[in-house]
Amino acid sequence: MNPGKILLVEDNPDDVTLTMRALKSHNITNDVVVAQDGVQALDYLFGKQGRSPADDLPAVVLLDLKLPKLNGMEVLQRIRSEERTKLLPVVILTSSDEERDVIDGYSLGANSYVRKPVDFVEFTKAAQQLGLYWLLMNRAPPSPRGP
Amino acid sequence: MAIRDWPIKRKLTAILLLISGLVLLLTSAAFVTYEVVTFRQTIRSQLATRSRILAANSTAALAFANEADAREILGALKYDPHMVAAALYDRNGRILATYPAAPSADLIPAAPQPDGYRFEGGRLVGFTPVAQGENQRLGTLYIASDTKAVSDALRLSGVIAIVVLAIAMLAAYALAAALQGRISAPILALAETATAASTRQDYSLRAPKFGEDELGALTDSFNQMLGRIEEQKQELQQHATRLEQRVAERTKELERRALELQAANSELDAFAYSVSHDLRAPLRSIDGFSQVLLEDYAAQLDQAGRDSLQRVRAASQRMATLIDDLLKLARVTRTEMRTERVDLSGMAREIVLDIQRTSPDRQVEFAIAPGLEAQGDSRLLRVVLDNLLRNGWKYTGKQPQPRVEFTAVDENGDRVFVVKDNGAGFDMKYADKLFGVFQRLHSSAEFEGTGVGLATVRRIINRHGGRIWAEGIVDQGATFYFTL
Amino acid sequence: MALMSSLLLVQGESPRTSEYQLKAVFLFNFVQFVDWPPSAPQDSQPPPPLLIGILGDDPFGTFLDETVRGERLGARSIQVRRYRRIADIEACNILFISRSESERVPEILSAVKNRPVLTVSDGDEFASQGGIIQFFTDKNRIRIRINLDAAEAANLTISSKLLRVAEVVRTPKR
Repeated sequence: MNPGKILLVEDNPDDVTLTMRALKSHNITNDVVVAQDGVQALDYLFGKQGRSPADDLPAVVLLDLKLPKLNGMEVLQRIRSEERTKLLPVVILTSSDEERDVIDGYSLGANSYVRKPVDFVEFTKAAQQLGLYWLLMNRAPPSPRGP
Repeated sequence: MAIRDWPIKRKLTAILLLISGLVLLLTSAAFVTYEVVTFRQTIRSQLATRSRILAANSTAALAFANEADAREILGALKYDPHMVAAALYDRNGRILATYPAAPSADLIPAAPQPDGYRFEGGRLVGFTPVAQGENQRLGTLYIASDTKAVSDALRLSGVIAIVVLAIAMLAAYALAAALQGRISAPILALAETATAASTRQDYSLRAPKFGEDELGALTDSFNQMLGRIEEQKQELQQHATRLEQRVAERTKELERRALELQAANSELDAFAYSVSHDLRAPLRSIDGFSQVLLEDYAAQLDQAGRDSLQRVRAASQRMATLIDDLLKLARVTRTEMRTERVDLSGMAREIVLDIQRTSPDRQVEFAIAPGLEAQGDSRLLRVVLDNLLRNGWKYTGKQPQPRVEFTAVDENGDRVFVVKDNGAGFDMKYADKLFGVFQRLHSSAEFEGTGVGLATVRRIINRHGGRIWAEGIVDQGATFYFTL
Repeated sequence: MALMSSLLLVQGESPRTSEYQLKAVFLFNFVQFVDWPPSAPQDSQPPPPLLIGILGDDPFGTFLDETVRGERLGARSIQVRRYRRIADIEACNILFISRSESERVPEILSAVKNRPVLTVSDGDEFASQGGIIQFFTDKNRIRIRINLDAAEAANLTISSKLLRVAEVVRTPKR
């Protein structure tokens, strides 16, 4: 089994650090690719002009909603609209539990919606469960290019 | 057309004609009767005169039985075509001579009858004594005249009467047609004006006035009435115009306010959204890195240092709860209401089950009356019941036999729902502070809380158009009442 | 020979009787149609009766008396007198001269001449002889002939009515 990468779309460096720490502390060793805004995330997935995208799709995208340039919803919309990424598991991981966001997220095809707890202990638990679930337990969709 | 539906003009003309016709008819009848009666008297007296002259002339003929003379005297009657027959009787009632000379049998009575002149069988007959001197009765003269003269006179006077009647009726008709206008014209003008005013709703019309009689007074009153209606209509229109202006002004004002409100709402929305996303992130950092310090640098920290870090973490977590509660409160104001029939008893039981599941270590007796229902937004009402029941659960925490009731009573026809506990209660002095945001009557050390819950509850109740109030006694419990 | 009218025959009386019955009536009726000159005023009450005299044989029988019975002319009663001789004649108003006296007519007439006496007779030629009224028969009817000159001579006024029904003659010129 070749566990895939995690694409963490998160603009807040504190949150990046804490999320990485939480994942590592639970021996989730998969590569974590960090995109600091929506544009970076899409560049990673679809490639910048003249540069081909990453060969392998991540196993899961952890997507924050409030992002500079393109926000999380727009990124999600783009992911779902592309043939290559339309089945890609996307977990919204954000501060808000606004009903509007939850509904919009699921409507645009998010696979899960997790609110980041303030309590870091809780947050670490959540990160661990997310990693375990999406990287180990969940059966990923077949890679569109894969053999 | 029935007579009562005739136009007034025709009625008036008909009445005038009827009256004048009747009067003329009676007059004519009287005239004809008078004529006939007079004429009968006239021809009778004429016959009497003629008879007496003839009688006087025929005395000698009778006295000396001179038949030829008698016949000659009677023969003079031929100059009057109305004279039908005549005869001279002698003293003994014997006929001396007749006129015509050879009369038919029924024309001459065989013997004289009592003297006098009378109409008999369509004839005027007269028996006149023939006498010479004072009392020397010589015989009797009989003369019969036809009554053609009478019928001629009757016919003539009849014709005259009819002609007069016809001319008079024509004149009466002409006069009636001309004069009825004096009465009908004002009425017709009034009727026309009334019809025009009511069909065209034009109250500026005025009926023309023809004179100072009762119809003139009626016309005046009618015109005054029209004038008053017109004034009232104008006043009404002015009122309506003013009202429209005010409505327009108010509408504009309301639109402006609505726009402001909309702007405020969307600002609030944006604010709440921003708070929801951005305010929590630094808290997470504070808590997260405090934990990192505790985990990675535990050896370098003494007990006091670790304790401080724990306090930092607790504070940031409490602040997160506060933010969440505030957002809930804001959401209560913002969400759209969907009114439906809500089973409050069932909802309360679900909440109680949830409470008992999350805190199985506490034993609180919940008494929930069955069949309580209300009209309202079920999600918001769930927030109300959740807050009140959790409050009851929370504040009975120090009670050995905690108990929370949910019931309802009817007060002045209103349904009042009651949530009652036997917990910590409160001092009625502070009752007015109970529902204020961040207002707490107990310290966090005693009972946890942010002071937002009851404010949220009150806001929901208000949005339903209801009221909420509370009674409490310290250490004996609190009772919350609300209507919807 | 006198003839009778058909009317008279109806009565069923004898022709002769009827003739004089009628003549009696006529005689009476003359009273009505003749005016006598007023006589000398007399104070006596009642006024003197009107006298009808018959000279000679009376052909009337009782007829004349019956006719005048009870009759009056104004206040005057009417009486019948019968005379045999001329000398007997009183101041009668009407004098009927019977056929029996026909031979003496001129004598009689001259005896009453210039007196207001209405002389009557049914004798032939009486009027032409100077008598005032003469009965005659014409076509079975009794007719009257009046000598107006004689009447004027007697100072009598005869009603025009009477003249109408009579045949008027004048005394032949001498």
